[in-house]
Amino acid sequence: MRLRTDDDIYRARLVYLGPPGYTLPVHLPYAQYGVFMLLVPLFMFIHYLFTFDVELFPAWEIALAVVTTSFIFRYVDPDRPARMVVRTALTDWRRTREPATEQRDPRLVATRIRVREELV
Amino acid sequence: MPADTRSNGTRPSDYPVSDVDDDVDDLVTSPDHGAVAVFQAPQAPRRPGGGPGPHGRPDGEHADIDSPFLDLFSGSAGRPAPPRSASRTPSARVAEPLRRPVEAPPTEPVRRPVEPPAAEPVRRPVEPPVTEPARRPVEPPPAQPLTNGMGGHGIGADPIAPPSRGGDPQPVPDEDAGTAAAVKPPARADRPPRHAAREPELELVNLPAVREPAAEPPARRPPAEPTPRRRPEERRVREEPPRPRKEIKKRQELAPRSKPVRPPKIKFADRDPAVNLAITEIAGHLTFTPNTVTAWYWLPEVRWAFRPDAEREALLSAISEQYAGLAGFRLHLRRTTRPFPADEWARTLDMHTPHPLGGVPGAPSWSDHLVNAQRHLLSVNHAEGQTYLGVTFARRSLGDSLVERLLRAFGRGVAEGERRKLGRTVEQFDEVLGAFGMRGRQVTPHELEWLLYRSVALCMAPPTALSPVTGGEWERGDMLALTEQIERYRTPYGSTVKLVNRMTGEERHVAVLAVGRMEPLEIPERHEPWLHFHERLPWPMEISSRVDVLGSGDSFKNLEHRLRMIRSQQLDYAEHGIDAPPELERLAKRALVIGDEMTTGLPVESARAHGWHRIAVGGRTREECLERARRLIQLYSRELRISLQHPKNQDWLAREFIPGEPVANTGYIRRMPVKLLAAALPQAASTVGDRRGDLIGRTAGTCRRPVFLDLHFPMEVRERSGLAVFVAEPGGGKSTLLGALGYLAARRGVQVTLLDPSGPLARLCSMPELRPYSRVLNLTGSEHGTLAPYSLIPTPLRSEFANGPTGDREFEIAVSNARAERRMLVQDICSMLVPPQVAREASTATLLRHAVRQVPAEETSTLDDVVACLASLDDDNGKELANLLLDTAEMPLALLFFGRPPEGLLGADAALTVITMAGLRLPDLKIEREYWSAEEALALPMLHTAHRLAVRRCYGGSMSSRKMVGLDEAHFMEGWRSGRSFLVRLARDSRKWNLSALVASQNPRDILGLDVQNLVSTVFVGRIAEDVEIASEALRLLRVPVNDGYEATLASLSNVDTSSASRLGFREFVMRDVDGRVQKVRVDVSYVEGLLDHLDTTPTGAAAPQSNLPTGAPDTEV
Repeated sequence: MRLRTDDDIYRARLVYLGPPGYTLPVHLPYAQYGVFMLLVPLFMFIHYLFTFDVELFPAWEIALAVVTTSFIFRYVDPDRPARMVVRTALTDWRRTREPATEQRDPRLVATRIRVREELV
Repeated sequence: MPADTRSNGTRPSDYPVSDVDDDVDDLVTSPDHGAVAVFQAPQAPRRPGGGPGPHGRPDGEHADIDSPFLDLFSGSAGRPAPPRSASRTPSARVAEPLRRPVEAPPTEPVRRPVEPPAAEPVRRPVEPPVTEPARRPVEPPPAQPLTNGMGGHGIGADPIAPPSRGGDPQPVPDEDAGTAAAVKPPARADRPPRHAAREPELELVNLPAVREPAAEPPARRPPAEPTPRRRPEERRVREEPPRPRKEIKKRQELAPRSKPVRPPKIKFADRDPAVNLAITEIAGHLTFTPNTVTAWYWLPEVRWAFRPDAEREALLSAISEQYAGLAGFRLHLRRTTRPFPADEWARTLDMHTPHPLGGVPGAPSWSDHLVNAQRHLLSVNHAEGQTYLGVTFARRSLGDSLVERLLRAFGRGVAEGERRKLGRTVEQFDEVLGAFGMRGRQVTPHELEWLLYRSVALCMAPPTALSPVTGGEWERGDMLALTEQIERYRTPYGSTVKLVNRMTGEERHVAVLAVGRMEPLEIPERHEPWLHFHERLPWPMEISSRVDVLGSGDSFKNLEHRLRMIRSQQLDYAEHGIDAPPELERLAKRALVIGDEMTTGLPVESARAHGWHRIAVGGRTREECLERARRLIQLYSRELRISLQHPKNQDWLAREFIPGEPVANTGYIRRMPVKLLAAALPQAASTVGDRRGDLIGRTAGTCRRPVFLDLHFPMEVRERSGLAVFVAEPGGGKSTLLGALGYLAARRGVQVTLLDPSGPLARLCSMPELRPYSRVLNLTGSEHGTLAPYSLIPTPLRSEFANGPTGDREFEIAVSNARAERRMLVQDICSMLVPPQVAREASTATLLRHAVRQVPAEETSTLDDVVACLASLDDDNGKELANLLLDTAEMPLALLFFGRPPEGLLGADAALTVITMAGLRLPDLKIEREYWSAEEALALPMLHTAHRLAVRRCYGGSMSSRKMVGLDEAHFMEGWRSGRSFLVRLARDSRKWNLSALVASQNPRDILGLDVQNLVSTVFVGRIAEDVEIASEALRLLRVPVNDGYEATLASLSNVDTSSASRLGFREFVMRDVDGRVQKVRVDVSYVEGLLDHLDTTPTGAAAPQSNLPTGAPDTEV
């Protein structure tokens, strides 16, 4: 029996070419635009925290968001979604305050589980 | 801190020092969580040189005991330990210089006398025990300021390892404590007044802070949290110095509070975070989490190796139908391992060995033998797979969940109504999974507990070894309590998770690999099942697959959505006037084809399994773990073209193995038809042999299981014949295996007779443990008549048959059969003795038949009677024949056939009898008989009669006693009527007489030619590389499909590594056991000391005994 996965269908690269009639010079996956659009307000908010002031054209924020997006998507592939990359980066960055090599994770404890021999 | 300075190196370098105390505990118990206490004998070496403190209480004892009862016994637990602190000098601490000068000099003299031991108990009960170790060392003795200037001011952990610490500076140890202390001082200045005022309450205030970690677990606390919390505590520490001055008076009253320095409890703050698993209840085979209910099934192992492809395909399609039947549910397929229960096996073996061979001084006794075998089993690290399938089938309503919470408060758990309801729903799965294919059965709560424990302690040694009660059973909940001891460590962006068992100190590094891209597989034909394949590697691994099974509707919708996306992208390209990448069209077409299959095919074709598949690899060190992961990745990419990925966030991935926990991440999702999922077949296995016999080696196919063989199992349990056949090319290891089996059987008190014409097996009798019980019979030097053909066939006794007329009749038949057989044998022997040209003449056969008919076919007759009868004939030919027979009798060896056998030739007393024919030249059967020398020609009848002689001995004792006879060079039996009747009789009698017969031959055709293969219960086929035809005959003997490519397997057995100059240390066989299971086995009896040296038939054997041990690198075959 020859058996194969359906994964390749899901691996098709779907890119945004631009609005109708105008083709963008670079074709990026839709996901990148999504991440970018999430990042801009985030950076704006951070900026706001510092300055208590919202700019009309957030140039810096856009620039940072572009860089961050491209940085994130450097690690993204069909098997590693952007969400995972961000999550890994966040958790491990958050816990990397010290040069220590290891940190303890919470123990996973099963003692509270109630055991019943029979279902009913 | 260097690992070796404290405990056993199981702690990470930045691990809070105080924790190390756990290792020193005489009693580790955690009343808050698990209520498991393990007693460990106090360990002397840990005591520092000074030993007990001034109060007679040894330092370090009870250092960090979590028991509320502790205080009842040790009133002075909080006492300072001056001698030890003094010895602590060398360990430099960052915090020390800062704290020391401020606090010690002024406080010390004043405080000292104030501290009465009697007051302790008063305070103790309030104080959480956890703080204990930390507090004690902090209190410096009067002398300390001088000796201790540099540091060594313990923050709790120090007491543990003083002796080893000698000259070992501790650079890292309390980094956070130390640095924190070091950084903090400035902050202290402004605080003192306030705290000084509150000083009396301090102890009490502390209490909750310390307890917290224990109390908190249920509420998941992010590990990062503790850090901020420790601050106030630290401050308190540093605020100590001012306090004493103000409160000396007060302190004298509240003596117990006298500790000048609050230890920074920081350590403990993040020491204990424990998170409860999502599972809240196990009821029967169901597990409950707050949101879901999962039904668990146990999937028994299925045989995969050496089965016809058609059978395998049938199996796979049955399983895929079962998966398709579970459409709409999420499955958790989990495979864990259980180390082989060597003790259980040894007990069974011992039980089945009522009369083992008596011990001989200076040689290993029976129990030594068993112990050696168990050691060997454990060292080889066999693991048995256990496959569990969880079906998450019900979402729980909020109401159910709340009711459960409520009832838990009253200790009742999930409401009965809900359980009843679920009980009915779950029956459908019993039906689906119980059918042919998976044949799943409901798991027991015990097995679920085991699975949970194994999942939390991923890849760690299972707790059997921990059990303080040998042979004791785990009670319900015990295993779960053991999860309490497992600590987890992560490194940022790390590629492994470290697990530490606090109780045993075991440290394990685990890497979790995710199944990435897969190329098309041809499962029964070319490839192994893809989740069974990892067993090729010699260490146990764990598998977890989370799979959503989509029914035809869902999967079609899913696919269609994807197709539309692809189409719209194509459209997009067209709109923009750009060439679409060609793969879009290809993928769209493929999606269309699949969609077509889905809509028109059976539900099995359309069902899809979308899921995540992970393999966990463990190792003692990080390097070992990564090396193993690398080899696994390599193996998968090379052989199966599956790329295993090693993602980050290993701790989450490791957590995914635990039933009920969430999927770690959405990456590496594999979408496949259920057929491909069925072909993963993690439950495939390859056991062979019974589990009650001697250890003879291990399987060498895709997985490694120990192989046991009890040669009497077919007769005593399966009621089959005991004929076992060994076939291999010369040098394939037949004789060695025969000898090893003979040895092992003799050890068990079986009466063993080995016929070994060439003689090396005779050396077995010189083994010290067998020497008093064994005897060698060399036929070439025996007396006349030893091989007299008439007496070789025993006359049946009436007592062997049932009473009554039926028995009478059977007895008569048996007696006349014996006579007929005698005549046949004598006739054959005579034909073998005369030259072949004469034997071929028709008149010879007639004359012989006539003569044999004249002589009464009783045991008492002899060949001389036949000669006399021939000589008395009126026929010249008859006289000539008689003379020819007499001529042969001139040769000394031929005299064995003539005359009467000596009495008591083969007593039944010896446990092991080896019959040899040293010096006999065996003819080459490929050469015509005419060209054999006289000596060679004589070998043929000798072998025939010797075989009979070896078996004859077995008819001496009682019928039910165990007997074994091993016959080498059985291929000489072929071509003679009496030869076939001999084997048939052997096979038939074997059951009746509880006689196990091992027959070794170089060519399977001999056995097949004798047409006795239906009577054969066990088959060993060794290396057959020379002749494809012989190989396919051997496969026929094994009942393995011919021309399916298995011939190559036979040729590759015992393959020599051409690059190595040493001899091959093992021999491989394909074995078929009495239950028809076929598997490649590697014979390894190296655990019996000296056996291989004695069995070695290779000329250089004595010179290089070492090479007979199993290969130094048992993993090399990968």
